[in-house]
Amino acid sequence: MAEPDAVRTFEDGLAQIRATFEQALRAAEDEPQLRLINARYVGPQGELTALLKLMPKLPGNRRRELGQAANALKQGIQQAFDETLDRIHRSARDAELTGPHLDLTLPGRWQMPGRLHPITRIRNDVLDIFVSMGFDVADGPEVELYENCFDKLGFPPDHPATDEHDTFFVDGDRPSDAPTVLLRTQTSTIQIREMMKRKPPLAIVSPGAVYRRDDDATHSPMFFQLEGFLVDQDVSFAELKGVLTLFLRRLFDEHVALRFRASYFPFVEPGGEVDMSCVFCRAWEQDRARTAACRVCKGTGWMEILGCGMIHPVVFENVGYDPEKYTGFAFGMGLDRIAMLKYGIPNIKLLYENDVRFLSQF
Amino acid sequence: MLASFRWLQELCPVDADVAEVARRISLAGLEVEAMERKGHDLSGVVIAEIRAKKPHPKRDDLTLVRVFDGENEHDVVCGASNVPDPGGRVLFARSGAVLPGGMQIAPRKVGGVESSGMICSEEELGIGADGEGIFVLDEDHRALPGTNAADALDLRDVILDISLTPNRPDCLGHVGIAREIGVLFGMPYSPRKAAGPRRAFLPEGAFRPGQPTTRLAPLWDSESDMVDSPKLPAISVEIVDGDRCPRYGAALVSGVEVGPSPFWLRYRLHNLGLRALSNVVDATNLILLEWGHPIHGFDLDRLRGSKVVVRLADEGEKTATLDGIERTFTSDDLLICDGEGPVAVAGVMGGLFSEIRDDTKHVLIECAYFDPRSIRRTSRRLGLHTDSSHRFERGVDPEAIPQVLASAASLIAELGGGAVAADAIDCVARAHRPASIRLRPERAARLLGTPVSKEESMRILESLGCRIVEHDGETIEAQTPSWRPDLTREVDLIEEVARVRGYDQIPTAMPRAHVSEAGTPGLLKLVDELRDAAVACGLYEAINYGFLSVEDLRRARVGADAVMLANPLSEERAVMRTSLLPGLTGAASRAQRHGATEVRLFEIARTFQPTGDVLPHEQTVLAINLAGHRPGWIGAEQAFDLYDGKGVIEAIIDRVFGRKPELVSGDLPSFMHPKRSGVVTLASEGVGFVGEIHPEVSDDLELIGRVIYAELDVPALHALSEKLGPPQARDLPKFPAVTRDIAMLVRDAFTAGEIADALQAASNGLAESVRLFDLYRGDQIPEGHRSLAFRVTYRDTSGTLTDKQVDKVHGSLAKVARDRFEATIR
Ligand SMILES: [Zn+2]
Repeated sequence: MAEPDAVRTFEDGLAQIRATFEQALRAAEDEPQLRLINARYVGPQGELTALLKLMPKLPGNRRRELGQAANALKQGIQQAFDETLDRIHRSARDAELTGPHLDLTLPGRWQMPGRLHPITRIRNDVLDIFVSMGFDVADGPEVELYENCFDKLGFPPDHPATDEHDTFFVDGDRPSDAPTVLLRTQTSTIQIREMMKRKPPLAIVSPGAVYRRDDDATHSPMFFQLEGFLVDQDVSFAELKGVLTLFLRRLFDEHVALRFRASYFPFVEPGGEVDMSCVFCRAWEQDRARTAACRVCKGTGWMEILGCGMIHPVVFENVGYDPEKYTGFAFGMGLDRIAMLKYGIPNIKLLYENDVRFLSQF
Repeated sequence: MLASFRWLQELCPVDADVAEVARRISLAGLEVEAMERKGHDLSGVVIAEIRAKKPHPKRDDLTLVRVFDGENEHDVVCGASNVPDPGGRVLFARSGAVLPGGMQIAPRKVGGVESSGMICSEEELGIGADGEGIFVLDEDHRALPGTNAADALDLRDVILDISLTPNRPDCLGHVGIAREIGVLFGMPYSPRKAAGPRRAFLPEGAFRPGQPTTRLAPLWDSESDMVDSPKLPAISVEIVDGDRCPRYGAALVSGVEVGPSPFWLRYRLHNLGLRALSNVVDATNLILLEWGHPIHGFDLDRLRGSKVVVRLADEGEKTATLDGIERTFTSDDLLICDGEGPVAVAGVMGGLFSEIRDDTKHVLIECAYFDPRSIRRTSRRLGLHTDSSHRFERGVDPEAIPQVLASAASLIAELGGGAVAADAIDCVARAHRPASIRLRPERAARLLGTPVSKEESMRILESLGCRIVEHDGETIEAQTPSWRPDLTREVDLIEEVARVRGYDQIPTAMPRAHVSEAGTPGLLKLVDELRDAAVACGLYEAINYGFLSVEDLRRARVGADAVMLANPLSEERAVMRTSLLPGLTGAASRAQRHGATEVRLFEIARTFQPTGDVLPHEQTVLAINLAGHRPGWIGAEQAFDLYDGKGVIEAIIDRVFGRKPELVSGDLPSFMHPKRSGVVTLASEGVGFVGEIHPEVSDDLELIGRVIYAELDVPALHALSEKLGPPQARDLPKFPAVTRDIAMLVRDAFTAGEIADALQAASNGLAESVRLFDLYRGDQIPEGHRSLAFRVTYRDTSGTLTDKQVDKVHGSLAKVARDRFEATIR
C-alpha cells in the first residue's frame, strides 16, 4: 500500500543527502574518517540505506523514478568516496615521499650470518680449480695402516725419510715394536688406496686431515693437506709444470711465476718443490725495495708452496700398475699454510681454537 | 748441514759469487735456507800491541792496559786475567766500533778510571766460544798493530745453512757439496790428495800378522820422512758380523801430544757449529765435516788387548757412552769392542773408557762403513741422534775409507806431532758393488716431456762420477759412484739429468683433456651440501682436533671404548674422539667464558669407533651446538631451546633433501636431556637427534644455561638420499582453498602433533594442512592445560568448496577434538 508521506520523506531525504554528502565526504582527512562518513550514508545504518528500505512503500508510479534518483545519488556518493579516498592516498604517499627519512641505522632483520671455516673456504677454492680440470675428489681413512702410509709409497724400511713424519701410532694393535696402525701423516695414502681400487687413466685430488707429532708456534699436531695425482700413458714432468702453473695462477694471481727446485720425497722421482713468486710484495712487479722489506718472503721474492714430482715406479709396482706402461705425477700442499697466506692469519693455532671471534672473520 | 763457502771454494774454485752458488745448488736440490756472513762486521776491531800494564787502583780483578793500535796509544781497563806482557798482541775494538752482538764501544769509566776501547775475547767478537779470557795472538803471528782483525786472522767467510734431503748423504761433507758445485758449474771436481805427514813409519809388527792393510802413501801428495816403528803391541781388527759392518779401516798415529788446536781450526769448527775441544778430537771433527765420514779416535793404550772386535751386543749388555750415560743394548745393536768389552756403540757414539784424553799418546783412527738400517735402529732405540749416526744411517761412501784415513792421520800428526803408520788396517767383509743401471734417453725424454740426447745424458752422468760401462743407440749402461747410494734405478738417473740441467729447462705443457669417469663420491658432495646448509642457517663452522683426552670422553658421557694413541703428545690428546660433543661444547664453553651471548657452531668431521678389525670405523657426523640467545631483531632476548635446534635441523634437511624430518621420542644418548630432546627421523628412519644437553653433563662441561646440541648421521642421510631420490613435481591446485581456525583448551598430555594428525584424518581428505599457529598458557588456562589454535586449510581438488561443505567438515573436526582429546572448543 503506497503512502503519500513516504514519497515526501523519500524526496526530502534524498534532497537532504544530496545537499550534504559532497562536502562531508570531501572534508575527510584520513581513510578511517572517510569510511565513517561514508557509512553514515551508505552503511547498514546509513541514511541512504534507510531511505532505500522505504522503497516498497512508495507508490508504483513513482517507485521507478525515485529509485533511479536514489541510485544516482548512491553513485554520486561512491564517486565522491573514491575520489576522496584517492586524494587521501595520494597525499599520504606525497607526505611519505617528501617527509622524514626512515632510520637507516636500525639493524636489518633476517640476519643469519654463518661462516665456513677458513680451511674449508680454501679447500673449496682449490677443489673448484682441480675439479674444473677434470680431477675427481676422493677420501680415505685418517687412522691408517703403516704400509699405506709408508711402505707402499716407497719409504725404505728404517730410513731417515720417515724423520719428517713424526708419527702417532695407535696403541695395542700388536705387541711387537713394529706398529702397524697409525694416524696418517700425509694424504698420499689416498694415492695408494685409489690406485689399488681403480685403473688408469686417473686424476684425483684428496683433501683431508693429517697428523704429525709436532706442536709448536708454527706446527699443529693436526693439519690439512691436499694431495693430487694424475696417471695415464705418457704423462710428463712438463704436464706437471703446466697443471701446477695454471692452478697457482688461478688460486693466487695470474702473474705469479713458479720456480721448480729438485727435492726428495720417496714416492716421486724426479721430485721437486715449487716456489711461487711472493704474493705479498707482488714480486713479479719487480719493486725491489718492497720485496726487500717483505717479511713473508724474507726479501727473496719467493715462497715455498708445494711439493711434487713424477710418481715413483716403485709405487706403481706396489699397486700393481706396469711402470713401463704408465707414468704419472703427484703433488701435495698444506691447506693451512695456503689459508694463512691468503687470509693473513698470523698463527696456525687460531685455526683450531674455534674462537667465534676468529671464525666470524671469514 | 752448515757449509763454509771459503772451504768449498778451496775444494772447487768456481768463478761465481756465493749468491749464485747458493741459487744453483738450491735449484738442484741442496736447498740453502740461510746464509750468514762471518768476519764482515769487525771494521773497528784491529790488532793492538800491549805497551804497558799495571793493576787497577781500586779493584783486584781489573788491569789497566796501555795498547798501541797502529796509530795511537789508548788506556784501557781490562777484566781478563790473561793480559799478555808488553809486546804481546791482542784484538782491540776502538771507540765507535760495534761488535757483532750489537755492543757499541764508547769511552767510559770502569771502577773510576777512564777506559777507551775494549780488548776483546773470541766470544765477544763472535769468532769462537772462549769467553774466559781475551784473545791473544800467537807469538809467530806477523800481523802489525792497526791491521784489521778480519784481515789479520783471515776471518771472512759465508756460512751456508743447507737443508739436505735424506737421499743425499754425499753432501753431508764439504767434499760432496764441492763435487756437486763442480757438476752444476761444469767444472769437473777431482778430490785433492791430502798433504802427507812429516813423519811416517812402516808398521812392521804394529799390526797382527795376516791383517789386511792398505797403503796410505799413494794417497798423500808429499813424501814423508820414514822413522822407526814405535814399540807397540800388535793391533788386530776382527769383523764378526760382516752384514752389519761390511768394511772397517784403522790408521795409527803414534807419539801425539794432545793440546789445543790452532785458531784457524777452532774458528772453522766454531762457524760450522762445533765446539773445539782438543787437537785430536777437533781433527776428527774437521775430517767429518770435510768428507762427511764420521771417524773415531781410540786411545790405543786403553784398547785392552790392542784389539778391535765388531760384533752384535749380547741382549742386556751394558756400557757407558761418552756422554757419561750407561746404555743397555739389545742383540740388534752393533758394538765396537776391545779384547774385554764394548768401547763404542758402532756408528753412534764412542765409549767413555777408550776416549781420547789429555795424556793420550797413540791414536787408532776408526773409519768404517756400517749397515745404515742397523745404525738407525740402534740410534732410535737409544734416543741418540749424533753427527755420526746421522751420516751412517744415510750411508757413507765405503770406497772413501782409505782416503779418509790418510787425511785424518796426516792431520792429527800435523796438529799433535807424532808419526803415521804408512799402512792402515782395511778389513773388507763385503766388497762394495756399484749399481749398474741402464738409462734410455728416449724414456727420459718421454718422462720429462722434453728432448734428452744420449750425449748430454752421458756427459751429465760422467760428471756425477758414474762410469759408462757401455752404450749403444738406445741405452747407456752406467755404474754409479760409491758416494751415491740413492742411485738404484733408471728413474734415479733421469732425475739426475733433469736436476743437473735444471727443472727450469723443462717446458710447460697441459695434459691431454681428461674426463672424469667417477666424479665426486655422493657422500663427499652431501657433506658439502650439509655444510652450506648449516652456514645458511647462521652457524659457524668449527674444526677440532681428532684427538682428545679420556677425561673429555668421560665428562661428556660419550663412548669410552676409543682408539688410543701409543705415543700421544700429552694426556690431553691421547685418544681419538668417539663423538664431536666434547670438542664442540668445549668451543662453546670457551666462547661463553669470553662473554659471547650467542654461540652457534657446527662441525662436520669423523668419529672413530674401534671394531674387531685392524682399523676403526670412521663415521662422518654433523654436529650442531647452540648456546645463549637466539639472534632476534630489536627487543627482548630469548634463550635457545629445543625448537631452535629442531628448526635448524629441519631447515638443513629441507634444503638438502626437499623434505621435512620429524622429531619423535626414542632412544637418546645419555648425554641428552631425557625429556627435552628427541630423535630426528626422515622417511621414518632415524638419522640423528636434537635437544638440550643433560643438565648434569652440561654442568660437567662447564656450560652456562640450557645448551642445545644435535647430531646428524651423514652416511645414514646419504643412504636415504639414494633411496628417496630427487623431489618429484606435483600439479599446482586448480581450485581455491578456504581457511578456518579452530582453538581449543586441552590437557598437556596430548601433543599438538597428534591432535593435528587426528584433525587432518577427520577431514575426509579435504584438509590440505593443519597448522598450529598459537599456543597459550596463562591466567585464563587451568593448570596442566594449554590453549592450542590450529589453522586448517581446506581444498577440494575436484571443485570449489562451498561454505556449507566447509562448515560441515569443520564441525566434524571440532567433534573429534572434543571426543578424542576431551578438548573444550573456544
Ligand atoms: Zn714478499
